[in-house]
Amino acid sequence: MSLLGDIITIVAVSAGAFFFLAGTVGLLRFPDTLTRLHALTKADNLGLGLVVLGLLPQAASLRDGFKLVSIWLLGLLAGATVSQLIARAARQGESAR
Amino acid sequence: MALKAASRAAWFLCLWLVLAGADPADIPAAAAAIAAATWTSLRLLEPSTARRSVRAIGQLVLLFLYHSVVAGTDVARRALDPRLPLRPGFVAYPTRLSSGIRRNVFTTLTSLLPGTVPTGEENGQLVYHCLDVEQPVVAELAAEEAALVRALYND
Repeated sequence: MSLLGDIITIVAVSAGAFFFLAGTVGLLRFPDTLTRLHALTKADNLGLGLVVLGLLPQAASLRDGFKLVSIWLLGLLAGATVSQLIARAARQGESAR
Repeated sequence: MALKAASRAAWFLCLWLVLAGADPADIPAAAAAIAAATWTSLRLLEPSTARRSVRAIGQLVLLFLYHSVVAGTDVARRALDPRLPLRPGFVAYPTRLSSGIRRNVFTTLTSLLPGTVPTGEENGQLVYHCLDVEQPVVAELAAEEAALVRALYND
């Protein structure tokens, strides 16, 4: 059981780290604010979700598990709302120029 | 209304217990935080009278998780591709959701769809920025709207 848990942890956390890396590469390579937002919100949300999923088998208690999931959900909510505010400001700045 | 407030306060209490733990010394801070959170949530998110379907909510959650994976993979592929395959542009989406909370919930949900970021409204239409305007963006948004209506706003 713990071996299976460790395998899930290694696979999911590695995949999560890969998506964080890809999101950061996108942040550096994409041409403007709006395209960079895509890279950050999408890749990082998936990365965070996979890291949380990978850490769940290592959680010491049920509460720690819920805490990890809450962190993911709060991260999702923050990313989804703040990215819209930045996107709105970026589009208005673009059309004002 | 009082019942709605009590149920939301109970949810915030659970969230506090999960995030901060159960320590008697925290009770004043917890009580203040729960009161503030409940007041804010009732002000910003009025209790809905629409019928909710647990099955449709489950389907929406599954659709959301599936889209998260597709969206993250899509962005990762484009970012790591040496040719950087992007055809960015704006797409207007005529939504049938009433403006306000429902539309905001929809934009928040769709900001995690593959290749789209909502950038506000123009002439009553939602304006999305897309990584690739050749993708069937409007059809995907319509499917997401239908799933959301089935789950939460079936009135």
